[in-house]
Amino acid sequence: MSQLQEERDIILGNENVDSFDFDEVREFVRGADKNLFISHAFANRDKMLVQPRGGFPTYEKQYALYEFFVDANVDVLPLTIDSNTRLNDYATAKKMLRLSEANEVDMLNGYPLVNHGYRTTRKMMTHFNHPVSLRHGTPDARLLIEIAIASGIFEIEGGPITYLLPYSKNFPLDKAFLYWKYVERVCADYSTLNLPINRESFGPLTATLVPPSITIVIQLLEMLLSLEEGVKSFSVSFSQQGSMIQDIVTGKVTRALAKHYAKEIGCEDADIHLVYHQWMGAFPTNRDSADQLINMSTVIASMVGADKIITKTREEAVGIPTKEANAQTVANTQYTLNILSGLPAISDEQEEEILTAEVHAIMEAVFNDPADTLWRKVFNSIKNGVIDVPFSPHIINHNKMITIRDSNKNIRIIERGNVPIPDHCYQYERSCCDLDKDTTDIVNDIIHDIGIMQ
Amino acid sequence: MKIVTGVIGNDIHVVANRLMDLSLNARGYEVFNLGVNTYLEEFFDASVETGADVLLISSLNGEAEGWARDVKPLMSRYNSLDNLVMMIGGNLTVGSGSATDIIPRYQKYGFDLVCHQVDLNTGLDMLEDYLKEHKTS
Repeated sequence: MSQLQEERDIILGNENVDSFDFDEVREFVRGADKNLFISHAFANRDKMLVQPRGGFPTYEKQYALYEFFVDANVDVLPLTIDSNTRLNDYATAKKMLRLSEANEVDMLNGYPLVNHGYRTTRKMMTHFNHPVSLRHGTPDARLLIEIAIASGIFEIEGGPITYLLPYSKNFPLDKAFLYWKYVERVCADYSTLNLPINRESFGPLTATLVPPSITIVIQLLEMLLSLEEGVKSFSVSFSQQGSMIQDIVTGKVTRALAKHYAKEIGCEDADIHLVYHQWMGAFPTNRDSADQLINMSTVIASMVGADKIITKTREEAVGIPTKEANAQTVANTQYTLNILSGLPAISDEQEEEILTAEVHAIMEAVFNDPADTLWRKVFNSIKNGVIDVPFSPHIINHNKMITIRDSNKNIRIIERGNVPIPDHCYQYERSCCDLDKDTTDIVNDIIHDIGIMQ
Repeated sequence: MKIVTGVIGNDIHVVANRLMDLSLNARGYEVFNLGVNTYLEEFFDASVETGADVLLISSLNGEAEGWARDVKPLMSRYNSLDNLVMMIGGNLTVGSGSATDIIPRYQKYGFDLVCHQVDLNTGLDMLEDYLKEHKTS
């Protein structure tokens, strides 16, 4: 028996799993309808795919949400997981699920997939027969993704960096890399049976003044960590940054460099997709303004040429959205995509050059780390600040990089810390900003720059 | 001047904490930032370890009061914290409440300086004034 299979036996021997039947699950994946695979939807799409967010505790409410989404002409269904399951606390999730079922009050902020189990959940997924994307935020997602794939969920979001640095203070990063290696291997293994399972990285990170160079480097590294384990379909992503031209340039550079680095490791046969998140920062409380912001995000995603867009709702500032508001965004986004036409192809060569040089320089520094494997190189690079994510709560993050917006709301690096931004790029970034200010003014600017959409 | 700071309890709101770090450094303090999700014991341990002059605790989700009740009993177990200036700031109550009610309560818990929904730089000016006053006396 392989070492991976031994580990899988242990993981699936969890007391919250009702006898996992490996052979039956393999047969299910082998014979699964192609409409369940987002890789099929990507290959045959004639427009940008629209995917909302959403998860409710009970089977019935999740089912009702999906009915609303399908009525709104959704392309990809989400399954958002509750916070207890994300922290591997299945006992609490179970208790809260029972309370939610008994009292018709939602005691969880998502669907406790492990507690519902794959035999039950698969009925819902095969009934709707749409691609489903697993949205979670789990550093140790080994059990969760096993149950997801067995349920017919063939897109797995996340990664060791993007699901840790924005969400956790002290979950050990080295463990996260090893747990995600398991995820990649299991996805790669199932991908040989039918169409490929798609993996997607979470580009928004902290959604707070993260410069595009850092976002792209982390997208590329999670992509490489996934492809080197045999994954054949991968989505890189980022969220709306605040300036249309910066988003367009980010999209172009991300696509070009994803292709470049995939080829470098001999994985040019993998399908790489680009995903755009509607604004992930602080939302306006006014619902009409929120609708306008969402609509603008859709237009920018079209300019970026994204393969998929992930939507927000007009109730973002208030709390977990109702199924009505959530479905309304899907319908509105589809409408906008439908009527948008004749978009000009624009970019900014200088910005592209600067951003490309920054990404190459950081990637080179990561590859030059003396460690023997890619994940250890990446681990060391985060530890020593070669990769520095603004506003990460994690203790390992360096926190020496400072970013603000220029007058066109582009995010600029004014302090690079240990990140090896080349000198000419650094001078360019700083020259875009008014640096003739003291720290008090800069702190006030940062506060303003975080809340630009409110 | 050494200052230990961080966000108390199960509170992951990191933005203000980072901005505070920047501002304190700019004002010339030697900053020991414990970040988000920090418990009282960790604050006091760090204050002893670093020989801090000031402990500045912050809270955004409003849970601070639950933790603040334990300040005096816990502090009495340490014998080298008598001269530590205790400050707390942020959003100090769940729901709404007025500063005139909140400030005396926190003073009773053992804080020298209490800033409820006070602008960052105003709060840090208050700290500077307090430190000046107590140096001369």
